[in-house]
Amino acid sequence: MASVELQGLHKEFGNVVALDDLDLDVAAGEFVSLLGPSGCGKTTALRCVAGFEFPDSGEVLVDGKDVLGLPANKRNMGMVFQAYSLFPNMTAQQNVEFSMKIRRRPRSERSKRALELLELVGLSRQAERYPRQLSGGQQQRVALARALALEPAVLLLDEPLSALDAKVRVQLREEVRRIQLELGITTLYVTHDQEEALSVSDRVAVLSEGRIEQIGTPAEVYTHPKTSFVASFVGTVNRAEVTVLSASGKTVRWGPAVLKLETEAFAYHDGDAVTLYLRPEDVTLGLGRNGTIPSGGLFNGRVTSITFLGPVTRVSVRTEVGPVVADLSSAEALELSIDSEVSVDVAPGALRALAS
Amino acid sequence: MAAIAVPTSNKRRRGGHGRLQLWHVFWIIVAVLYFVVPLYSLLQFSFEGSVNHHSAGFHWFLTVFDDPQFRSSFWLSVQIALETVLVSNLLLVPTAFWIHLKLPKLRPVMDFVSILPFVVPPIVLIVGLVPFLQPFTFIYSRPEVLPLIYVVFALPFLYRSLDAGLRAIDLKTLSEASANLGSSTLGTLVRVVLPNLRQSIISGSLLTVAIGMGEFTISSLLSFNTFPVYIFNIGQSQAYEAAALSVISLLLIWGIMIGLFLLGRGGRTSIALGATR
Ligand SMILES: Nc1ncnc2c1ncn2[C@@H]1O[C@H](COP(=O)(O)OP(=O)(O)O)[C@@H](O)[C@H]1O
Ligand SMILES: [Mg+2]
Repeated sequence: MASVELQGLHKEFGNVVALDDLDLDVAAGEFVSLLGPSGCGKTTALRCVAGFEFPDSGEVLVDGKDVLGLPANKRNMGMVFQAYSLFPNMTAQQNVEFSMKIRRRPRSERSKRALELLELVGLSRQAERYPRQLSGGQQQRVALARALALEPAVLLLDEPLSALDAKVRVQLREEVRRIQLELGITTLYVTHDQEEALSVSDRVAVLSEGRIEQIGTPAEVYTHPKTSFVASFVGTVNRAEVTVLSASGKTVRWGPAVLKLETEAFAYHDGDAVTLYLRPEDVTLGLGRNGTIPSGGLFNGRVTSITFLGPVTRVSVRTEVGPVVADLSSAEALELSIDSEVSVDVAPGALRALAS
Repeated sequence: MAAIAVPTSNKRRRGGHGRLQLWHVFWIIVAVLYFVVPLYSLLQFSFEGSVNHHSAGFHWFLTVFDDPQFRSSFWLSVQIALETVLVSNLLLVPTAFWIHLKLPKLRPVMDFVSILPFVVPPIVLIVGLVPFLQPFTFIYSRPEVLPLIYVVFALPFLYRSLDAGLRAIDLKTLSEASANLGSSTLGTLVRVVLPNLRQSIISGSLLTVAIGMGEFTISSLLSFNTFPVYIFNIGQSQAYEAAALSVISLLLIWGIMIGLFLLGRGGRTSIALGATR
């Protein structure tokens, strides 16, 4: 177990700024995800830690010691790659033994440890298989076992599940987390899939254009996004441009409605333009009784689309303030149809405002 | 009307198809004759004339085998071929590895360079090489100079073969995985890259053997008595022996081809066996 610190990492490729003075502290034993859209610098950050890329400036500290002077093969970091990376000429077990062979561990110790690790990833019966005889998910399990063989100080995973089927992906991410907790190994996990990041991490670092927009627990990042980028990248969100009615009263005007925000810090002035963020699951829709116009909401609107997503159904409503998206329980949504007139309401405390 | 038209057109098509097949057979026969007749004549000729002798058709073969010149030239060529394989692999395997891994921008350049030996005729090569090599008298006058020249001829075959092998694996990811697991670059070359290039190295090397064994122009110009030069000299005066020699060298080349085939298949079989265990 080791802590990892990235300090002011800066890296440019030609005129592309891949990392823009990135700072990140990962405590020993912590599972931190780097989450962001494609091209935001996640892989570059991870490769700087692994030693495959060298930052133009900044430092990478492991347990307080700078590792940038060490070549990749001396850093003792286990890495699982996005592309399939098993050695095709070796069996699963030989792949896992590879690093131990280089360290000249005795044969019996090697094979014992390799079989333990294959057991840990649930592949003890596939030890003799060659990579081509394994499914994608199995190959990535072997890659994980292989990365863990030397008990590395840090485990690095670069979108290890992105090539897999949705179902295998969910199953495997839970397994990665279980193994990480079992071994207590410090882990940096790169992904562009927000659900993946939120579901397995101790903390999530949201990246955009080479810098960290926000870092926090999955719940913090989801419920209290600090920037508009985080609000829209993590989960689905309704956005609305509104004006501050009363800074002291923390009220804003959204179309015909006046809303009170329940945030503690409200650093705006009367008349400021701010952007309102609202999660679809915090929107409720009301139907009028027996064909009457529904009332009691902030405003009314008409249903424009209904998308069944399993446990929830996503309903888009056209209102006088623009489109609003609501996630209803699928049972509730059964009462609605396209063009139903509905009232739109918002759960108290669900609104976030950020400077426009 | 349509009902009538359909069968007719069908029939015509089938008829056309039949005629096409007939032509196929015809051309196949022509091609086979083109290759088989000279071979058969060669074989026939090499067995001929031995009726007067007691060795039941193998007379000229035995004569050839008894000739110390045959043995020395044959072994010289084998030796040269193996040296060519060694030198060209030592030169090209690390080069191809390095270019693919670190200098991918040079790949088109290497592609071009690797076909140059096809474009430049051997005679031009030798005219250029002689003045270059002449000052190095210690090597220039010895047959060991030939592998150094044949490496150039082997370049297209071996490099292309290695190139195809390297393209078939994700070299960057495999090398990084290997480094991440503690291996040096040399270790990666030996433990990861070479085993996965086995097929390419073998097939490229066998073609190189064929070149080393068969090259005539340069060894003749430099007056080394290699196997092809020996065959040529025999052919000037002893027609039967030359025919027997040609048969022997044909068998050799076929042996190389079969070796190539078996070694290539061997790799796959062992993997399949590993699976069933
Ligand atoms: N080796 C490279 N050469 C040139 N540009 C690169 C290289 N690696 C990454 N980049 C660029 O740096 C930026 C960040 O890339 P990357 O770290 O791979 O993003 P991510 O993994 O988040 O998708 C991208 O714009 C990418 O095009
Ligand atoms: Mg990436």
